[in-house]
Amino acid sequence: MLSRIADSMYWMSRYQERAGETARLVEINLLYLLEAEEDMSEEDKWLPLLKISSSEELFSELYGAEALINSQRLLQFISSERGNSNSIRSSVRLFRENARVARDRISKEMWEMVNELWMSINDRLRSPLTAEKARPFFVLLRNEISRFDGITANTMMRGESYSFYELGAFMERADMTARILDVKYHLILPDLSRVGSALDYYQWAALLKSLSGFEAFRRKYHAGFRALDVVEFILFERDFPRSIFFSVETMGRALKTIGLENKERTAGAYFALREMLENTTAELVFASGLHEFLEDFLTKLGDLHAALSEDFFQ
Amino acid sequence: MNNHNGSSGNKPRISFHEFYDDDFTPRAHYRPLWDHIRATGQNSLEVKAHESQLALQTEGVTFTVYGESDEGIERIWPFDLIPRIITAMEWEKIESGLKQRVKALNLFLNDLYTDQKIIKDGVIPPELIYQGKDFRREIMGITPPQGIYTHISGIDLIRAEDGEYLILEDNLRTPSGVSYMIENRVIERRIMPEFFDKYRVRRVDHYPALLLDALRSLSPRGKDNAEVVVLTPGVYNSAYFEHTFLAKEMGVELAEGRDMVTINDIVYLKTTTGLQRVDVIYRRIDDDFLDPLIFRSDSTLGIAGVINAWRAGNVALVNAPGSGIADDKAVYPYVPDIIRYYLGQQPILKNVPTYQMTNQQDREYVFDNMEGMVIKAVSESGGYGMLMGPASTPQLRREFVDKVLENPRNYIAQPVVYLSRHICYMDGELEARHLDLRPFVIYGEDIQVVPGGLTRVALRKGSLVVNSSQGGGSKDTWVLSE
Repeated sequence: MLSRIADSMYWMSRYQERAGETARLVEINLLYLLEAEEDMSEEDKWLPLLKISSSEELFSELYGAEALINSQRLLQFISSERGNSNSIRSSVRLFRENARVARDRISKEMWEMVNELWMSINDRLRSPLTAEKARPFFVLLRNEISRFDGITANTMMRGESYSFYELGAFMERADMTARILDVKYHLILPDLSRVGSALDYYQWAALLKSLSGFEAFRRKYHAGFRALDVVEFILFERDFPRSIFFSVETMGRALKTIGLENKERTAGAYFALREMLENTTAELVFASGLHEFLEDFLTKLGDLHAALSEDFFQ
Repeated sequence: MNNHNGSSGNKPRISFHEFYDDDFTPRAHYRPLWDHIRATGQNSLEVKAHESQLALQTEGVTFTVYGESDEGIERIWPFDLIPRIITAMEWEKIESGLKQRVKALNLFLNDLYTDQKIIKDGVIPPELIYQGKDFRREIMGITPPQGIYTHISGIDLIRAEDGEYLILEDNLRTPSGVSYMIENRVIERRIMPEFFDKYRVRRVDHYPALLLDALRSLSPRGKDNAEVVVLTPGVYNSAYFEHTFLAKEMGVELAEGRDMVTINDIVYLKTTTGLQRVDVIYRRIDDDFLDPLIFRSDSTLGIAGVINAWRAGNVALVNAPGSGIADDKAVYPYVPDIIRYYLGQQPILKNVPTYQMTNQQDREYVFDNMEGMVIKAVSESGGYGMLMGPASTPQLRREFVDKVLENPRNYIAQPVVYLSRHICYMDGELEARHLDLRPFVIYGEDIQVVPGGLTRVALRKGSLVVNSSQGGGSKDTWVLSE
C-alpha cells in the first residue's frame, strides 16, 4: 500500500484511541478529586494532568504564563481547545481527517461513523464543558469510539491496512495507559504515608475503573487493592486488553502481518520494547521506581514510532 | 460573429420552463411525477427533503470552499428532490451532438500539436493559439496513444428561450461533478423510490466501470497489466470528495504527487513494500502543476519527470497535457468551424452566440450593450473572472471595459441567456429556479456519453449562476429509455 496511506491509517487509529484515552485521563482525575479528603488547591488538583500530557508549556503559551490552573480552564484546554492538537476536539478532528485521507481503504460504515462522530462532538463542544457535563460527555465519547472499533472489526478487510490500524491503536493505548498509571504516581508521591489507606483504596479502584478493568481485576485478585497487584495487572496481565503487555503483543502480531524483512530498525525497536516487559516483575519495577520504568517505556515506544516512520511511512 | 442586427436587444425575454407548458400544465413527460407529488402532498416532500439532507451529511458528500480557516470549510452537497427529466428523443440529439464535438476537438488537438493544418488552411488565426495560456509548446510533436487527448470531457449545456439545447462551454481539463451525478441518483433512489415506479430511467452508476476500462486500455504494459492511479492535489482540494469517490469505485490507489517518483522515465508509487510501477495516471491537477521540471517549477503537487516518462510512452496521462487549449473560451467560437473542418459535418448542437473582443466591431457592440451581456475571462472557470451584465453596477462595467481593452484576447462576451427553469422544492414551496446540464463523455476505445449528467441549479431566486462555489445546487437527472 501507499506509504502515505499507511501513515494515515496509523494516525487515524492513534487519534481515535487518543480521544478516548484523553477522556479516561480526565475522568480518573475527576474521580480522584471527588474522593479527596482534604482541601487541595485547584492547581494541585490539575497540574499533574498537564505534566503527564507534557503540555504545561503549551498551556501557558495559550492562556498566559500567569494563568491560573483551574478546572474550568483545564477542561477547556483538554476538551475543546483548538490550539491544543491533543485536545479531544482536535483528536476527533484529526481522527476524521486521517480517515478522509485513507477513505478509499476503510469501509463505508467506518467512514460514516467517524464522520457522524466528528459532527456530533464538534457540536457538543461549542459550549464550554463543565465538570458536571464532563462525565456524561466522556461516557458518550468512549462508547462511540468503542462502536467504531466494533464496526472496524466487522467490516474492514484484514491485511496490511488493518494491521497499520491495529498498530496505531495499540501504540497509542500503550502510551496512554503508561501515562494514566503515572497520574497515580504523581498524585500519591507527595505523601507515601497514605499507602494502604482508605483513600488509597479509592484511588486504585478509580484507576482500574477508568481503564475498564475493575471487575476483571476483582475476579482475578478477589479482595483488596494491593498496589503491587494493580501494577502487575496493568503492566503485565496477558489477557486484559488494556494492559501494556497486551498492547505490545498485539503490535507484534500486526508487525508480523505487515512484514519486517529489511526493516531492521523497526524490528530492533520492537524487540527492545518486548524485552523490557519480559525480563521483569511488578516487584522489580517497584524496587527501581515505577515512574522511572514508565518513562523508560515511553522512550522505547517513541523509538519504535520513529522506526516505523522511517521504515514504512516515507 | 456579427449577428448584432435583429438579435433581441431590449424586448422582454422569458426563459424556457422545463416542467410546465406555456399554459402552466406540466409537460407530458412530467405528468406522472406531478400526479404523484399531488397525491402524496407537500408534507411528505418536507420529510423527504430532511431525509436527503441527513443522508448526504452522514455520507460526507461534500465539497470544500477555499479560504478562511485552516480547517477548510466543507459544505454538504446541495441536492433538490425533484428530478429533471430528459426524454429519449432529446437525449438522442444531445448524445450525437456531444460525440461529434468531442471527436472533432480531439482531432483538433492532435493537429495543433503536430502539423497544424487547420492554421495553415486559415480556419483558425495562429495568434489565437499561440497566445493561449493553455497551448503547451513543450509537447509539440508528441502524439498520445490513439491520438486521444480528452478521455474525460464534461460539456456544459443550457437551453435557450425556445428550449433548444446549446453548448455553453467545453471542460476538457479536469472536469468535475461526475461523483455528484452518481450520488444524486443514489440518494434519489433511496429517498424517492416511488418516483422510479412510473418511469424507465437509464442508469448512470456504471460510469466508474466505463472509466476504469478506458483508463486500462491506455496502459503501456497492456490492458491486463495496468496499475492505474487517481492523482489528487490533496485533501483540501474542493473536489477531494470526488477523487476519493472515483478511486474507491474503481478500486485503484488515490495518490498525491509526493507518493510518486520518476526513475529513468518510469513512474513509481512509493509503497510500504518499496517502489511499484505506475501505468496510467488519471490526474486531477492542472497542467501547470503536473511536472515542476517542465511547467511551473514551484509546484509541489506534481511529479518531477512525469512529462518525460509520458513522452517516452512509459505512462499514460489522462487527460493528456495540452488539452486545455481546446476549451479556451477564445477558441470556443471556432468550434463549429472545427467540426466542419475535420468531420465535414454541420454541428448538431449549436454554440451560444459569442462576441470576440479582438474584433473591434464586436467589441464596440458589446460595450454599447453591456447590461445584456456576460463577459468572461477566457481561461477562468467556476464562475470566476466574469461580469454578469444584468446584475452589474456602472462602476463594475467601467472596470471591465478597461480590462478588456488592456487584453482583448483574454475576453469574450455572450448575450445573457436566460437559462431554462425547473421547479425546485425550496423551504416548503415549489419554486422555479434556473439550471444547466453537464453530461460526461468518455473517449476510450470508442466515445460514450453516460445517459444523464449533473444538473446544476442556481438556488437564489432569479440568479443565473449555477456554480456550487457560488451558491449552486443540483438535481438528479433522468434520461428516459423510451
